Amino acid sequence: MNDIAIQVIQMSKNFKRIFDKPNTLKERLIFWNKSKSEVHHVLKNININIQHGETVALIGSNGSGKSTLLKLMSKILYPNQGSIITNGKLTSLLELGAGFHPDFTGRENIYFNAAIFGLSKKQIENRMEDIIAFSELGEFIDNPVRTYSSGMYMRLAFSVAINVDAEILLIDEILAVGDQHFQDKCFSKLVELRDSDKTIVIVSHSLDTVRRLCGRAIWLYNGEVAMDGDPADVIDHYLDKMIEDHDSSQTGPVEKVEGQIHFDEPLMNEIVVDVSEPLMVRGWALCNIANTTLKIYLDGMEIATAMRERRPDVLMTYHDMYGGAAPNAKCGWYCPVKLNNYTGLHSIDAILYNNFDQKIITQDRIQIKIEGNQVIS
Amino acid sequence: MNRLREIISYKELLKTSIRKEIRGKYKGSALGILWSFINPLLSVLVYAIVFPYLMGNVIDNYLIYLVTGIIPWTFFVTVVQAGTTSIRANAGIIKKVYFPREILPLSVAISGVINFFISCLIVLFFVLINGIGISWHLILLPIIAIIQTMLSLALILPLSAINIYIKDTEYIVTFVLNMLFYGTPILYSLAQFTNASKIFLTLINLNPLTHIMNSYRDIFLYHRTPDMLLLGCVFLASAVLLIIGYLIFVRLEKGFAEEV
Repeated sequence: MNDIAIQVIQMSKNFKRIFDKPNTLKERLIFWNKSKSEVHHVLKNININIQHGETVALIGSNGSGKSTLLKLMSKILYPNQGSIITNGKLTSLLELGAGFHPDFTGRENIYFNAAIFGLSKKQIENRMEDIIAFSELGEFIDNPVRTYSSGMYMRLAFSVAINVDAEILLIDEILAVGDQHFQDKCFSKLVELRDSDKTIVIVSHSLDTVRRLCGRAIWLYNGEVAMDGDPADVIDHYLDKMIEDHDSSQTGPVEKVEGQIHFDEPLMNEIVVDVSEPLMVRGWALCNIANTTLKIYLDGMEIATAMRERRPDVLMTYHDMYGGAAPNAKCGWYCPVKLNNYTGLHSIDAILYNNFDQKIITQDRIQIKIEGNQVIS
Repeated sequence: MNRLREIISYKELLKTSIRKEIRGKYKGSALGILWSFINPLLSVLVYAIVFPYLMGNVIDNYLIYLVTGIIPWTFFVTVVQAGTTSIRANAGIIKKVYFPREILPLSVAISGVINFFISCLIVLFFVLINGIGISWHLILLPIIAIIQTMLSLALILPLSAINIYIKDTEYIVTFVLNMLFYGTPILYSLAQFTNASKIFLTLINLNPLTHIMNSYRDIFLYHRTPDMLLLGCVFLASAVLLIIGYLIFVRLEKGFAEEV
């Protein structure tokens, strides 16, 4: 049993959704029997075992209960049913800069903040230099925190949090700190922690982070564990489900049909030498309606309708950039183009049509140069 | 026992909270921490001027009598008021970070007792310039102060927890404290009410603060050993209340992050 870091057993959590909370005694007495509350089941019968040394991501859409689960694991909230057992020193980084006092210096605030995480004075002093170095605040560390820019504030807060030496780290969406350089540094620090047999549970909206950092992903859907396993698989299913939900929630016509189309291969002005096989043209297309046709043209002549395929990478990037499901599950397309009678410069067009009114939604064009066909023609 | 061990492992947090409680309260004012000593002195001044006119003074050394009453009272009232709001005032970190919640009321009580010991220098100053002097009885001061801290803690643990669920608690506490100020022999002495009703005297004698105040006066002003039997009873009552109060706190603390 000792290799289990976090054990969630048949755990359920309800929130009372109170519309008008009776805050005062008078309201409580008057509305004794008329409390306008309804129970909202945030998490239902969750069973999770997390081993020591695992790096686990919790994914799910907003309101799926992943942050609540993290708060339950860190004992900020308590379950209504079932139990959560944790083994080892646990630190939750749900809030950066907890206990910071603006009038005290950065150095003093490191004490306050680290003390909230349960560190002793000696432990804090041992880490002080590391924390200051990681925050890159330099001599500003002895200025009051109120004089800091928000970026400096977050950098200091993150440095304390990440240097707290816990066996189990619970992290909620805090990687978006500071500039790109600092974000990269935070990420490599997390990789370092992951590789040093720490147990990490992370809630992230960035599926790219999940894929690169975690060895396991747990997908929460409407308060239940929908899937638990390899991040690539889980993310795949998660994105599919999101598109499905998006489609079913879509009622009525889209106001303005928009889309984007892109060639992945061949590249612009690519030189094609081998034309014995048809050239495979690939790319992706995204559109806010599902019912579309994508046609390929060579020098303005229609060749074929492109086949559609799944492109998890595109969906993932879309999810991370725009936060939400892309409207098309099969957003990739491909089409073989026969070139055995062509030479010189030619253009390939990909045009996306709305099946409803046959209008062009969007298009893209590339140019290729065909060499090596001279002998035959 | 497990909880005690956990509080000990968070002792640095306890220390920084106490430090913030003592230093942070009057931060930004010109006199700073001095206000925690000036405030009771100013009340002493007001009562020393007003009450002899109203009541026709019969207490010897009334100024010292007031000082030895008001300074412990200030200690009690500050701790109970700040303690009741201590959890609510830290709603931000309660929602976001785990730590043993009892640290918050505990740090209010400890910072109060530290402030009180410093304030006792004022009492000593008064007894010295008034020619009353000091005696060996002062070594009992920490015992009385610890009993008072226990009593305060026994009150603020449940009150701070209940205040999360019912916000009226803090206003009711303010009112009750106001009543208690007159229900405790601070401005007057029970010896003044020889012909008062039995119920009135019983009520005041049931007030544990009465005996705490009398004990402070015994060691500062009258240089005699306090009634140890009564003090022992107050100690026992405080200990029992502390256990009950802590159980209430433990029972209620699981909902803090949701209710606050």
